[in-house]
Amino acid sequence: MQSVSNHASQRKVMKGAQSDSAERAAQLLANIAETKSREAFSELFSHFAPKLQAYGTRQFGNEQTAMDLVQETMTNVWHKAHLFKPDRGSPSTWIFTIARNIRFDLLRKNKHRKDEISADELWPILAETNDDPDDYSLDSSILMQEISAYYARLPDAQREVVEKIYIEGKSQQEVSDSLGIPLGTVKSRTRLALKKLKELIIEND
Amino acid sequence: MIKAHPSDAMLYQYAAGDLSPALSLVMATHIDMCKHCQQKVSELEERLCEKHLVNESPALANHDCQRMLDAIFASEAPEQIICDQGPAMITLEGKRFHLPATLANNADRIGDWSHMVGKLWRAPLSIGSDDSINLIYMEQGAQVPEHTHRGVEATLVLNGTFNDEFDSYHDGDFILLDASRKHSPQTQMEDCLTLAALDAPLHFTSGISRLLNPFSSLFFR
Ligand SMILES: [Zn+2]
Repeated sequence: MQSVSNHASQRKVMKGAQSDSAERAAQLLANIAETKSREAFSELFSHFAPKLQAYGTRQFGNEQTAMDLVQETMTNVWHKAHLFKPDRGSPSTWIFTIARNIRFDLLRKNKHRKDEISADELWPILAETNDDPDDYSLDSSILMQEISAYYARLPDAQREVVEKIYIEGKSQQEVSDSLGIPLGTVKSRTRLALKKLKELIIEND
Repeated sequence: MIKAHPSDAMLYQYAAGDLSPALSLVMATHIDMCKHCQQKVSELEERLCEKHLVNESPALANHDCQRMLDAIFASEAPEQIICDQGPAMITLEGKRFHLPATLANNADRIGDWSHMVGKLWRAPLSIGSDDSINLIYMEQGAQVPEHTHRGVEATLVLNGTFNDEFDSYHDGDFILLDASRKHSPQTQMEDCLTLAALDAPLHFTSGISRLLNPFSSLFFR
């Protein structure tokens, strides 16, 4: 993965590089979830650890606590990679929210009480869910009627995927096979489509 | 339809993890009920991630990396967090109320109901934090005497309707009042269950809200 420049003239390049790096990170997370690949994790770690450390240092003003934040965040990534859902957001946002939760708890650690509400109870991003991790689970805030009312307004590539999954009831793997596109692409198109649908629903609410 | 939402600034602080536990809990419950704010929060999380994690940062020293990787590979899996998504209900005065997901997951923190004054009931949530958060139930025709708040009060309507001199509020509405706003909530034909948190002005380190107002201390012991 490559770091990207913020320079304005490189905006276009940056966008491309960012989505490449997001796809790579999603792939690495999938490898970690499926095979516990240490190699995949090490690559992910060398990309995210420095960023997390910089975040921690800015937040805590303390190197040691910043390192604790890196370690706890990445430990969760290692054990909980299967909870990353590509359709809900990018890998870096997922990792950021884990770090945000750990920061929330670390800030209260010194006055810790045993019944204190923890970040996991407020933002249960690392809670196990019952759905099959391979099976795309429909965001419960979107109703089927809403999907059928608006999906025709999606860009062709996204509409095609939504149609097959939600109208024809195909699995993401089946869609990937039948369209001859990678599974990751099916997932990201589904995610973008649902995001767009949500916007359409809110606009027309 | 929900018409009173938290401000963008407050959503931002929530997404950044900068609000107190009590305010965060009220926000999370509003977000359970509000598609609009759900969407905003996921966008804000993306933006926060770009702000905090995307910039180029100097690599960690090799020995630090190796040490951390070794520790991570040797670590035990953290305890599994199970989120019970089942519909949780509470019963009060023979009525049943449905709890949104965040409250349902924290239902064990809801304490006993006690009668306050008139037609007002209260159940505190113990969240192990210095700021206070309560379920408040107003029967129909209940009137809360006019009062001001020393800190900031966030109220979320879970079910029913109440009015104050500014407006009337329904399921999912989120109302934030600061010390300068006096108000006197009341119910009319309908009862109302709310979740209310009190905090010193949006500072999560500020801890206990010390309430000098005699009426508020009734709400928030
Ligand atoms: Zn809202």
